Amino acid sequence: MGFAHFWLSGFDQIRTGFWAYFAVGLENGSLYAMIAVGYTLVYGVLGLINFAHGEVFMCGGFAAVFLTHGILGDRVANGWESVFLILAGIAIAGSVSALVATGVEQVAYRPLRRRNAPKLAYLISAIGASYFLQTLAGKEFGYGQNIFPAQVFPAGQTMFFIGKTPIHTIQVVCLVVGTAMFVAADRIVRSTRLGRGIRAVAQDSETSALMGVNIDRTITLTFIIGGSLAGAAGFLYALQNGIVQSSGTELGIYAFTAAVLGGIGNLRGAALGGLLIGLFGSFSVPFAFEGNISWTEIYTFIILVLVLIVRPTGILGEKSGRTA
Amino acid sequence: MKLRWNKTVAIASIGALAMTAVPLVAGNATSGAAAKPTYVIGVQGPFTGADADYGDYDYAGVEFAVSQANATGKLPFTLQVEKFDDQGSSTVAPGAAQKAVGTKNLVAIVGPAFSGASQVSYQYYHAANIAEVSPSATAVALATGTNSSFLRTVADDSVQGLADAQYLVKTKGIKNLTVIGDESFYGAGLAKAVATDAKTLGATVTTKSIANINEGGGGNAGAYSTLATSLAQSAPKGIFYGGYAPEFGLLIGDLASDGYTTAKHVLMSGDGSNDPALLTSTSPKKAANGAFLSESATGKVSYFTGAMATAFTKLTGVKASVAIYAAQSYDAADAIIRALGAAAPSSTIATLRSETVTGLHAVSFTGVTGPIAFQTDGNLKIDKGSVQISEVKKGKIVLITSVG
Repeated sequence: MGFAHFWLSGFDQIRTGFWAYFAVGLENGSLYAMIAVGYTLVYGVLGLINFAHGEVFMCGGFAAVFLTHGILGDRVANGWESVFLILAGIAIAGSVSALVATGVEQVAYRPLRRRNAPKLAYLISAIGASYFLQTLAGKEFGYGQNIFPAQVFPAGQTMFFIGKTPIHTIQVVCLVVGTAMFVAADRIVRSTRLGRGIRAVAQDSETSALMGVNIDRTITLTFIIGGSLAGAAGFLYALQNGIVQSSGTELGIYAFTAAVLGGIGNLRGAALGGLLIGLFGSFSVPFAFEGNISWTEIYTFIILVLVLIVRPTGILGEKSGRTA
Repeated sequence: MKLRWNKTVAIASIGALAMTAVPLVAGNATSGAAAKPTYVIGVQGPFTGADADYGDYDYAGVEFAVSQANATGKLPFTLQVEKFDDQGSSTVAPGAAQKAVGTKNLVAIVGPAFSGASQVSYQYYHAANIAEVSPSATAVALATGTNSSFLRTVADDSVQGLADAQYLVKTKGIKNLTVIGDESFYGAGLAKAVATDAKTLGATVTTKSIANINEGGGGNAGAYSTLATSLAQSAPKGIFYGGYAPEFGLLIGDLASDGYTTAKHVLMSGDGSNDPALLTSTSPKKAANGAFLSESATGKVSYFTGAMATAFTKLTGVKASVAIYAAQSYDAADAIIRALGAAAPSSTIATLRSETVTGLHAVSFTGVTGPIAFQTDGNLKIDKGSVQISEVKKGKIVLITSVG
């Protein structure tokens, strides 16, 4: 009876608060997807997981803090100023993270690639880069010190209602920016010369080099694309949640999971995986046993395992060697 | 050549003179210092990170006590204070405790400040017979056994939990309460105490838990956002959060975004959130206005007042009225100094550490915060205590009443 009541109560909460859970799920899912793209792109071209990618995201968040406080101070922006600041924040945070991602590639991966190092060396190097960035941020900005950017629009601002459920500006911005940046990345990879280069390197780097593709440049640009999306995600995340040196690790795990769920190496799979994990995490909150929110993570990873049992290469299938 | 030889001779002569002179000077200093050995009282707490205020205030309290004790000139030893930074984290604390244990001439510890850090540090201090006198670790389970090397100058969470429940249910009239624990040793314990006592007082209580982010819990901010959405849907009249300031601030901000504000509801947390860091961890900052915070105490006084407050601020540069648990730290240091003074003068450091533990169980004096004398389990003999309730008003934490 208690067990049945628990599930019925959960479904009742979903029924009454469906749009609220849906909106927060899409918001989180958009951020996961934006970060997951970086994981999947790098996996495509290098065949490795860039474990420092979460910290690349974190750097975007800190960039947002300094940018917004530098412009606004304690003021709250509104109207067109908000639009300008959102665009500027995405551009600056994306650029900072792209720069950091490039630095990680140059320092942590390129020397190993030139020496044909084993994959294990890349893994350790990636973890080292991750710890370096996290510790540096902790020392500079304070361990565990959650810092918020200035308000580029009033916190909790409602943009519109679905029924009686308020949909917040941050939720709309996350979805719109996430979608736009994903579509741009998808177009670049599918339809441009650079994209062809990325796909060629992913498929067979030696042959693509013989065909005239500049491997180093292609890999660097891949890190820049992934870093830009992660930085923009860092900016948007910080607006809602603040940023702390460990934020990259927290979000990175979810984004990596999203990439695997969708099919690692598959750009659209990363986006799909991100959205699904965001939505699943949100809708599972009413079903947390004894109110313990950690159950949402247990549910999420159970689903991941079940999907991988049925489809070991993820929902849309792994496209290692054929990125996007 | 001749000149060079002369220089060499001159340098050698000066060197020889210096070598002869140094032992003479050092000997004088040593003979003076030998009569008064120097001992170290360590302060373990967060000195970096989001909760650094707690460590700084604890240190200031100990520094004040040690300064006064040294100034009397009556002690047969000289005291120094040393910081051991555990960041308030149960994963960092073992390293801080091991560093303290290995510190030459360290006789006792004031701290750790946090319950989780205290729990994991205990084994190291206990093995080395080093007394820990915490001014603020309130988890009930910490004080156990007999002749415990863990002692505290603050009432535990059974006192704070009951007072918080009374304030919410009786004073604020809340019949529908959600209690959230942060899965830390401290936060989960306090939340459990509040939930149990609120039920006893007649409230309908829903319990929830969510992993903390900054104290080694491995939680993530996105989960707080979804929890806030869920809470705004169920809209309980009041929410109590058992945990620390950074996460409570995050939750307050997320709740405000979802329309759950202190204007219509009651939000409360315990001493873990009673920290100026709450104000910087909440976005927008004004969302924290109206939140209630408690602080456990042993007597009616939990801050320095009058001439002591003036002297404290003059020495440490810390404003006495905001220095949470500084007065309790002062009492903890005072107890250690008294126990140390009663120990045999010829003791080795190892023996002195052990004698300090025993001596602490024998002290009895009136401290700044009330009577200081310990039970065998390390709790104060008079541990009924009172609980101070503060409210965030216009971006400041303001003491409003005392319960118990």
